[in-house]
Amino acid sequence: MIVSISSLVLGLIVGYLGQRSRMCSIGGLRDFVLVRDTGLLKGVGAMLVAAWVVFGALRVIAGTSAGHGLLAAGTTPSGLSAVAAILVGAVVLGFIATLSGACPLRQHVLAGQGRIGAWWFLGGFYVAAVVYTNWIEPHIGSWVL
Amino acid sequence: MTAGTVSPQREGVDLNVRERAGRWSGKWARSAVVYGVVAATLAAIVGQWFKVSPPAAYGLCSACHGRDLTDWLLNHLEGKKLFVTAAGASWPILTVVGLVLGAFAASKRNGEFSSINLGGNARQFLYGGIVMCAALFVGGCPTRIIIRAGYGDVAGMFALVGVAGGVVGGALALRWKARR
Repeated sequence: MIVSISSLVLGLIVGYLGQRSRMCSIGGLRDFVLVRDTGLLKGVGAMLVAAWVVFGALRVIAGTSAGHGLLAAGTTPSGLSAVAAILVGAVVLGFIATLSGACPLRQHVLAGQGRIGAWWFLGGFYVAAVVYTNWIEPHIGSWVL
Repeated sequence: MTAGTVSPQREGVDLNVRERAGRWSGKWARSAVVYGVVAATLAAIVGQWFKVSPPAAYGLCSACHGRDLTDWLLNHLEGKKLFVTAAGASWPILTVVGLVLGAFAASKRNGEFSSINLGGNARQFLYGGIVMCAALFVGGCPTRIIIRAGYGDVAGMFALVGVAGGVVGGALALRWKARR
């Protein structure tokens, strides 16, 4: 119950601000490479720094520790092959998301704004979610970490 | 006050205050930095206190939350046994619905809603499928990868480096294609 309400409210706020600010988590670097515009890159940096500060503050409030200093426990990849898998997957993610024009979160915002291509993107997105969890993940799921 | 804006004397003060308040809030809402700070703060708080966890740093993600919602729907409507994270197992996670509705409300309110067809829709469908598979493989959409890196997740930091490399490559590919 509380999960549904809190995530819906979070989505509404982030969707509203995302539409107003045209923020895109891959758009910052893309704009910097293409036209040397740092407006969105500042947003990405602010998000990274804010996440670092807020998670640190929440750890202080809750009295827990992260594990190894600032690094969270249990998140280290098991070996070189896991690191290589993460890097390859992430490069594919960044490359294809750049070609499609926006990161997945921005595509949701564009869909709400009325862009037809974003609805097609979301169609492929959710079909692939079912395909991945049903057929692909059972074979490779435990490989990454 | 500039000479160009002429308003009736009676409502002048009221209009001025409302206009200034609107301009002030609009300026803040249009800032990417404000978006980043608000999104990261809300994601951390929602993950910590509003039950959107066991996966750590799970507050805001468009790929994982979309996967949880579609799999939850299929599990409950079709009786399948697809993977759903512990956070979204009993009640659905509605972040993606909220994202679309929030963007719709913002664009309607500011007169930016318009149904545009830029073409290339089959290609977008294919890109969407590849992006979802890659995002689920890595463990989050680019936004959650940033939040995970801030959380201190080592795998998230590697993924952030990889995404940055992929974005640079994609942007160079776009430029190459445009110049050819």
